[in-house]
Amino acid sequence: MTDLIQALGSGTLVGLVYAVLGLCIVTIYRASEAFNFAIGEFLVIGSFLFYVLFFDLNLPFLIALPLGLLAAAITGAIVERLTIKPLLGRSPIAMTIVTLGLAFFLRACVQIVFGSHTYSFFLDLPDITLEIGDLLFLSDPIWAGMLSLGTFGLVMVFLFRTRWGLAIRATSEDQAKAMAFGIDARFILLIVWAMSSLCIAVAGIMISNFGALSSMTGIVGLRAIPVVLIGGMDSIGGALVGGIIVGICESLAGAYIEPMGLIGFKDVAPYILLLIVLFIRPYGLFGTVRIERV
Amino acid sequence: MLAIENLRVVYHDVISVLNGISMDVQAGEVLVIIGANGAGKTTLLRSVSGMIDFYDGDIIDGDIKMEGASIKGLDATDIMKRYGVTYVMEDRPVFWYLTVEENLEAASFSRWDKRVKADMEDVFGYFPMLRSLRHKRAGYASGGEQQMLAIGMALMTKPKIMLLDEPSLGLAPLITEELFSIIQRLNQSGITMMLVEQNAHAALNIGTRGYVVEMGRIVLEGDSQELLVNEDVREFYLGSGEKERKSYKDAKRYKRRKRWL
Repeated sequence: MTDLIQALGSGTLVGLVYAVLGLCIVTIYRASEAFNFAIGEFLVIGSFLFYVLFFDLNLPFLIALPLGLLAAAITGAIVERLTIKPLLGRSPIAMTIVTLGLAFFLRACVQIVFGSHTYSFFLDLPDITLEIGDLLFLSDPIWAGMLSLGTFGLVMVFLFRTRWGLAIRATSEDQAKAMAFGIDARFILLIVWAMSSLCIAVAGIMISNFGALSSMTGIVGLRAIPVVLIGGMDSIGGALVGGIIVGICESLAGAYIEPMGLIGFKDVAPYILLLIVLFIRPYGLFGTVRIERV
Repeated sequence: MLAIENLRVVYHDVISVLNGISMDVQAGEVLVIIGANGAGKTTLLRSVSGMIDFYDGDIIDGDIKMEGASIKGLDATDIMKRYGVTYVMEDRPVFWYLTVEENLEAASFSRWDKRVKADMEDVFGYFPMLRSLRHKRAGYASGGEQQMLAIGMALMTKPKIMLLDEPSLGLAPLITEELFSIIQRLNQSGITMMLVEQNAHAALNIGTRGYVVEMGRIVLEGDSQELLVNEDVREFYLGSGEKERKSYKDAKRYKRRKRWL
């Protein structure tokens, strides 16, 4: 019983980080109907920008974090301007393919600048390790879960409570209509990419803090695929639920199936779950119920 | 107010849609443009509003002037903000997954200020049925309500001239009548209208002047009362006429073109 609660708890904490990854995919998918396969590379770039500011330049954490995130957002915006903007109004498939290319290009860039060796990455956050009876939750995952939840909440407030968020939701629905009513769709797309890469950087910093940072840390970005497909490609709430489901699924597999000798099953389990969900609900658990006029 | 001079537009670099159209819209009028499908009416409105880029079309010749200043090739948002030209696209351009109120707020994005709430009340004044729907998703509203919302959204942008693309598309005759009477009221309140319509009779009835467009050219122009009694317009667009019924052969387009030119 303790094992189960332990697995559920740690799964949820990691799941919240995955939820942020999912959120980044969903916002971009809604705005431009493209799947951002370069998410892992954005994650690495965001983490490295923070690494440079915090570890190399020794800025205090509370200055390095906002600056690093801002730098990540600007990187996202520049990438969007150069690669996605020229494709506005074209097929979303074209944009998706562009992000595939971007993934290779950006990974190579990171390797040229930072090399492909591993950097140690340790944030000296206050220790908030939680120990209740036999249960033990480490400090780092708790920080990661809390910061991810905070990021998620801020993005939700931005999207659903501000006029910029309204403009983003309007543009997400139809770029032509938005432009006809005076919403600059090109600029909105820029904002969405900047926001998305900022959130990815938050997730990246948390994930690097679990272990170390290298140009291959971006593999974690692939976790976003089961997250958004389980939750529904266009559902923000679905990203949260999907993230937690994937996190729990992973830690349950780690706690109960791996000891049976199936080492590495942890990484496969979310995809098996994904298959099952897609068999039953092809749009994902929370995919938009399309408004059909009859 | 708005002058279009010898406008030529092609799509995808090869498909020529407008072949030299010139017209002028005077302040305060309701200009009606009628024509068959594919005549280039929508393309004309897209060109004026700057949306033509989005559809991979190019203005290869001619000019569009709003109050003397050329607006050719400007960004759609710029044209709307700086020159007060608002384009209401065909087929009820509302955001389905936003509520009616959010739709109106989204449309006022470009000029966000303290007066948005007051303007929203004005819109509800013109379209009372929208008030009761304000928290409902626009996608669930009826066709007539959506079209009225679309015009309401256009009002939120404070237009000087409104380009309406087939507002009566798919609406019942009674709703169309109501809609057109509201368009007339808006016009009396000082908004110039450029109205593209298939429902020629209803449109010409509220219009001041009209143009008939065919194959990307203007083939006839005149006061709308004149057009309403014009023999050819009656035959081709109003479905009536003095002559005996024509066979399909005579209604072929090239025959008709010979008649116009």
